[in-house]
Amino acid sequence: MNDLARKGITGGVGLAVPAFLVLSWIGAAAERLEEKAKAPQERKVAIASVAEDAYCTPELKAIVRRVAGACGLLDQSGGRGCQPMEAKNVAQLSDDDFNALFRPLAKRAHIIQFDADQTELDPAAMAQVEKAWGDQRGASFFFVVARASPDGNEKKNEELSAARAKAVLGHLQAKFNDPDLKKEVGLLWLGEGFAQLGTEFCDWQRSRSGECTSKEINRSAFVAWIDCAI
Amino acid sequence: MKGSWDDRDNPFAIEKRDDDLAPDDDTSPHALEVRPARIGLAIVLLASLVGAYFAATSTADFVTHLDRDVHAIHCSFNPGDKAEMGESGCRTVMLSPYSSFFRDRWWGGVPVALWALAVFSFLAYRSAHLIWRGKPLRSEGLFLFLATLLPVGMSAVYGHLAVNEVGAVCNVCVGIYVASGAAFLGALLTLLLSVPKRDPAAVRRFATGFGEGVLFVGAMTLVYLTSVPEGRADGKGGAAGCGGLVQPEDEAGIMVTLGGKGKAAIEVLDPLCPACRAFDARLKASGLDEKLAAKAVLFPLDSTCNWMVSTSLHPGACAVSEAMLCAAEKDAQGPRKVLDWAFVHQEALRELAEKDEPALRAKIEAEFPNVKGCLGSAVVKNKIVKSLRWAVSNALPVMTPQLFVEGTRMCDEDTDLGLEYTLTQMLSRGGAK
Repeated sequence: MNDLARKGITGGVGLAVPAFLVLSWIGAAAERLEEKAKAPQERKVAIASVAEDAYCTPELKAIVRRVAGACGLLDQSGGRGCQPMEAKNVAQLSDDDFNALFRPLAKRAHIIQFDADQTELDPAAMAQVEKAWGDQRGASFFFVVARASPDGNEKKNEELSAARAKAVLGHLQAKFNDPDLKKEVGLLWLGEGFAQLGTEFCDWQRSRSGECTSKEINRSAFVAWIDCAI
Repeated sequence: MKGSWDDRDNPFAIEKRDDDLAPDDDTSPHALEVRPARIGLAIVLLASLVGAYFAATSTADFVTHLDRDVHAIHCSFNPGDKAEMGESGCRTVMLSPYSSFFRDRWWGGVPVALWALAVFSFLAYRSAHLIWRGKPLRSEGLFLFLATLLPVGMSAVYGHLAVNEVGAVCNVCVGIYVASGAAFLGALLTLLLSVPKRDPAAVRRFATGFGEGVLFVGAMTLVYLTSVPEGRADGKGGAAGCGGLVQPEDEAGIMVTLGGKGKAAIEVLDPLCPACRAFDARLKASGLDEKLAAKAVLFPLDSTCNWMVSTSLHPGACAVSEAMLCAAEKDAQGPRKVLDWAFVHQEALRELAEKDEPALRAKIEAEFPNVKGCLGSAVVKNKIVKSLRWAVSNALPVMTPQLFVEGTRMCDEDTDLGLEYTLTQMLSRGGAK
């Protein structure tokens, strides 16, 4: 066998084998790519979404939506606030059932306390409001439910609770200057007429650590993010 | 050793010349018979076959990814070991910009392992041919020796890049380096034991050999480029992207500047995510980062602030993201500085955060004093929430990194090997929407 033939054989094998391998690998990859185009695979990655906590039962969401919608939270008209009788009518709940709605929020809610007959936030209250607002996570709605203790007349207490709710909102606006506030914050002022808090709420996160009777706990604004996709 | 061995007893003796040498070869047949140059040639052949095996393994792993999917890759010296799906030095090296050339011209580029395969095949051919024919001349030995300098030189260069630039060593590549060294030694032995006579046809032989080498590399490259798939038959993906942004506005001021000038781009990233670091490195290495006016939307995959993940994939990512947002308030370059620092110390930061998050925050404040008072505040935490909600508004997948060029989302499968090609196409299309 002459040298050229030897070269041809060894060179041919040396070139053909790797070339064949490369061609077969590329062919297989091209085939898979084509198949993928024909039958796109389902996306396995989750899509970013707002939070949906375990306590967001369909019943709870329906009530929250009803309350929130009726109280001006779901439209973006800027009209906000639900007065005691409206909240009661819309929720169609007893006092206890209304408060029960918020019990799953024990870890999320903050109770902002006020002095008697006062509507201004003290420094501890401001800090508590900021802490609550900063802990939004995936929640969509920030509820401010203000109350008054049953001292004095009903009308006065309704005005007090409204002013307390607005004081919370005012501080949020001043501190965060967040355009989303209008879409996310809902105010409910309940006066003394509906869903007074029991003293068991004294164990929740409060802006004050002192004495906590049914009067103190109701001179308050209950603030919490609601982790439900409503 | 000359003329004293009996061919029948000497397994390495070179057989008598016949018609294999050119007529002008004046090499003495007697001298040719006694030099055991086949030892060297056998070493070159064996080393070349081993090198070709490792190069083929690497090429196959690279080529498998041309289907734009993620696959297991081989990263072991042992031929029997299975391919691995997780992170490995071989995956890091393969995804690095040094694993292939001409990435902006073809998806993934031409893998350097393909050329290694061609070179080892060529060396195997040369050594096999000389073993078969026998009587290697000094000029042939010299050519083989010089030819082995190519894989040896490339091994030195790539070993340096792996250690100093990529920061990962690939076992399959080490196999190639060792095979290159062995081939070099075998070729050196061949050179020393080859016939020391003057070869008037040396230049012609050298030119022929060089031409054959070029043919091997050229033919393999041609085979590769003519068969490599260009893209999906349905036209999706690639420069057309995979979706877009429905609400790209930054009303809450949550985007931070990353740098560059050119097309508007948004990168959704997690500062403690290894894939983001690797993506950033690839983007920088490609030089295409300079063609993007890039902003980042922070998407920490850390459950302490991100409700979309049940566990902290990257502990401490929320704190570092806060630091980037805080730094942006003092200095436009601040976020980039924090990000670069976080990328460098990613593993240590994640480890520290897992044990003691406040310690991580203290470390950040020590490194970047101007974030004090802002880091951990309600305002910056709220910004992180806004950042995450921006992803919600745009219905983005819960993953990082993601790149949007003028509103068009680069497909996930194009963010590694196909980055340069796809991004170049997207930039030339003007960021199709």
